[in-house]
Amino acid sequence: MKTLLILPALAALALGDALASKADAENFLKKSVSEVVEVARKSPDSAALASGVRLILLKTISFDAMTRRAVGPGWRQFTQPEQTETISLFTALIIQTYSSKFTPGELPEIDYKSAVETAPGRVEVSTATLYEGSKYEVVYRLEQPDGKSWRVTDVVIEGVSMVANYRSQLDAQFKSGGARAVIASLHKSSASSK
Amino acid sequence: MKKHKVEILVGLFVLLALASLAWLTLRVGAGSLPAGETYLIESRFTNAGGLHAGSAVLLSGVTVGRVEEIRMEPSDYSAIVNLRLLSTLRLPTDSMASIKTSGLIGDKFVSLSPGADEIYLEPGARITMTESAVDLESLIGKMAFGAVDKDAEKKDQKPE
Repeated sequence: MKTLLILPALAALALGDALASKADAENFLKKSVSEVVEVARKSPDSAALASGVRLILLKTISFDAMTRRAVGPGWRQFTQPEQTETISLFTALIIQTYSSKFTPGELPEIDYKSAVETAPGRVEVSTATLYEGSKYEVVYRLEQPDGKSWRVTDVVIEGVSMVANYRSQLDAQFKSGGARAVIASLHKSSASSK
Repeated sequence: MKKHKVEILVGLFVLLALASLAWLTLRVGAGSLPAGETYLIESRFTNAGGLHAGSAVLLSGVTVGRVEEIRMEPSDYSAIVNLRLLSTLRLPTDSMASIKTSGLIGDKFVSLSPGADEIYLEPGARITMTESAVDLESLIGKMAFGAVDKDAEKKDQKPE
């Protein structure tokens, strides 16, 4: 009899947790996005915008997880200094690429559609973004890498995942020349996007 | 007597041809796995259009499994695709599953890309990092009709 009473209580607790984590992740994302929009609104030029956006992205995105996943299975063969260098280069590349998409003064209109808990500790937030006359379907994937705070680990734009896009390129680099080839290609991408 | 023998031989030949055709149709249509033990993995897509039970699952261009079943998740209207994979294949938890097309108008298949985690997906686990089928029609539509005009959209939203 007791078990019959405990089971629904546990189920309700689990459902409550899932709803809470979904809402937490969504609120975290909304807060970060509104901070980026605010920086885009206030920044007088591209340099100011890039430096403002950088600070927000560093606390919003889990660059460790994103870099590891972008490199793929080859990551396990990187030495510790190679991993540190790759994370630093990949972080700079993503921030540079992201910042360059914004025009100071131009503000995006974001419609948050739904947040779904795809697995325990993993939430996807779907949005429709209208920016400079173009509409994009953007899905943010969030996780709790440290078990506490939410971080963005992937962004899917119009069905194309950022991690998958980089993984297909970096994995090919790794297969052709190991960790050094990956690092060299990131150096090259960083230099060309400046 | 000789005429009957020829007719019987022709009949046998036709039967053999029909049986071969049926075997080939079943093999190509339903798909088959290389021999060996298998296990099931779930993957969640927002759009599994064009995929069907029997579609191939490839990793580095090698067939490592088949789509077993596709169903809808009523809670969020996503598509849950069950993949039957060879048990010799161990996938890290951050592996990705993408729906791709062979050529421009070819069959859809699931492409797997292993991640870097040192923890592996257990049978029955779910791949959440997925890329759905790219909607070519909507992309062509965007190219053909151009981008959404922001001002026009705002005007449309204003009450008369």
